[in-house]
Amino acid sequence: MSLDPIQVMSGQVKELKVSPSSNGDTRGSWEEKEEFDPNQLDLTTKSKPVTGRRARKVEGAMFFPKPENAVTVAVSSRVLFRTEREQKVFEQKGVEEYLRYQIEHENEPFAPGPAFPFVKALEAVNARLRELYPQSEELFDIVLVTYNHAHVGIRLINTINHHNLFIERFCMTGGSSPIGYLKAWHTNLYLSADAEKVREALAEGIAAATMFMMEKVSEVSESQLRVAFDGDAVLFSDESERIFKTHGLDKFFEHERENEDILLDHGPLKGFLEALGKLQKKFYAKGQRLNCPIRTYLVTARSAASSGIRALKTLRAWGLEIDEALFLAGAPKGPMLEKIRPHIYFDDQMFHIEGAAEMGTVAAHVPYGIAQKHNSPQTLSGGK
Amino acid sequence: MVSTVQNSDVKQKNEDQAVVVAVTFAAVFDAEAEDDRDVYRLGVALPLLQVLQRVNERLLEENPVEHQLFDIILITTETRQQQQSSSIITSTRHHGLEVGRFCFSSEDDFIESLAQNNVQLFLTTDGNEALRATQQGVPSALLDKNSASCPSDQLRVVLCQDATIQPDADSSGASKKSAQSFLTRLGQIRQKFGMFNSPLCFTIVTSCGGKDSCCSALKSLRSLGVSVDEAYCLGGAPRGPILSILRPHFLLSDGFSQLEG
Repeated sequence: MSLDPIQVMSGQVKELKVSPSSNGDTRGSWEEKEEFDPNQLDLTTKSKPVTGRRARKVEGAMFFPKPENAVTVAVSSRVLFRTEREQKVFEQKGVEEYLRYQIEHENEPFAPGPAFPFVKALEAVNARLRELYPQSEELFDIVLVTYNHAHVGIRLINTINHHNLFIERFCMTGGSSPIGYLKAWHTNLYLSADAEKVREALAEGIAAATMFMMEKVSEVSESQLRVAFDGDAVLFSDESERIFKTHGLDKFFEHERENEDILLDHGPLKGFLEALGKLQKKFYAKGQRLNCPIRTYLVTARSAASSGIRALKTLRAWGLEIDEALFLAGAPKGPMLEKIRPHIYFDDQMFHIEGAAEMGTVAAHVPYGIAQKHNSPQTLSGGK
Repeated sequence: MVSTVQNSDVKQKNEDQAVVVAVTFAAVFDAEAEDDRDVYRLGVALPLLQVLQRVNERLLEENPVEHQLFDIILITTETRQQQQSSSIITSTRHHGLEVGRFCFSSEDDFIESLAQNNVQLFLTTDGNEALRATQQGVPSALLDKNSASCPSDQLRVVLCQDATIQPDADSSGASKKSAQSFLTRLGQIRQKFGMFNSPLCFTIVTSCGGKDSCCSALKSLRSLGVSVDEAYCLGGAPRGPILSILRPHFLLSDGFSQLEG
């Protein structure tokens, strides 16, 4: 993401390092032939016909940010919508019957899935960003990614229209891996129901998390995006967690105290927090700090007085501001999350994911680090 | 003067039902290179020829008396090439290429021979030739060095819908009809295989319009009997990165910018 010149309020003007998203595997001649001129787009594209449903529109042209400028969030169709019935048809009756079923029900929109409120909140932030910076491409860009055959595409597009979602980019890979496309889209975050795909994405350096179907979901804000992160093995590496798992709590405390001034290494979701921070600063620059539609939270088992200090120092050294840091000193996370009401909470341990879900918080699992050897989903339907 | 010669090494296809694909000499062979036995080396179209052959093999596996197969013609488009007819035939047979017929024409009359041979798809490395053929109502696609590194186990056809391509001046009924007819035939071939493990994969890439233009493209193709495997709606993002992952054997675009009736 390229940075507009912005004064950082915390006193330090710091050139933030963007999380490197590797380019797709491009070969010179494809690029030369297919180079697209963005200036041409604004002038020649016909304006989209205004329908009653489209409340928000940038004057005249369809506005598509360049992938490298936007914060790209790739969402699988299985987490954006509820598709369990169709999954069952696929599993029990096979692919031909599954496709026939989808086509037959083409005009029936899917119901919202666990990622739906999150995506709606991203759009609310975009609306505010467009008001303040009408020409900027630094927005959230949502890409729908599905393994589905393009047959199902029409039903998905109908569903997107039904729910008034502003999603104009998608990949229907007909069964092949979407990972290459994620890289080509400069994806900043990938949300999927399939833990395998999420692991593949993480291995390629793309922030990713697995989402699960929920029975009850608490109400969340429609005007302020709230994203909560666990610390170790999510924002930070799992180095400290390793110590805890192998040597126990006392050793963990000792280690953290001794290494208080040594920065923790970064974890898979650090880049996404960074991207959120950049957008937040755009609001601060226009005097919107108290009314910022993005709020971030750290919810960690570390304790404020001791091990938490290293976490805070690391964040500060990275130039990342987190709005609220909650040090639970080992207390259960569920009740705290219930108070915060984030649209999404990232954690590396299924135990916490389940605890959050029990109290109605949408939690996404980051299958990273040492905790994975001890994980096993008990109650939530995850994986395939 | 055009002359057509059958390749006796290859079983001739059923004229009515075969899908005739013409590939130019310059695409099949690396025209500059000849080894000392006067045999041309193979050019960028090799993976494509191999994969068309593969589709035919799979079709015959499904139905040993299948007639809707790809029928490949090698066509010359310059007088100089026209005069090399015996080397061309020798080289083709030497490499064991599944070319059914040879069409020896020059730059003046190759278009006619496309029509005479009921060619449904014309593949060339020369942009002007492709343009001329399209203007005369024969769907065409360009091959280049990217084509040389495509896989040979699955035919990957990518249809690019791009709202910024101005409608062809020749968007005549004939041109649109032949485009639709070709797509319909491809669709029929695709139907003979299941969802997975198909030797033919049909992909649509919409560059500019949003999801609604992709949706109408999917519907139009469905009405032609084409079931699309993969769809990418780019919303203005550059095509390069996506295409380099897709690795199409050929792109269909200019002749297909308006599919709807």
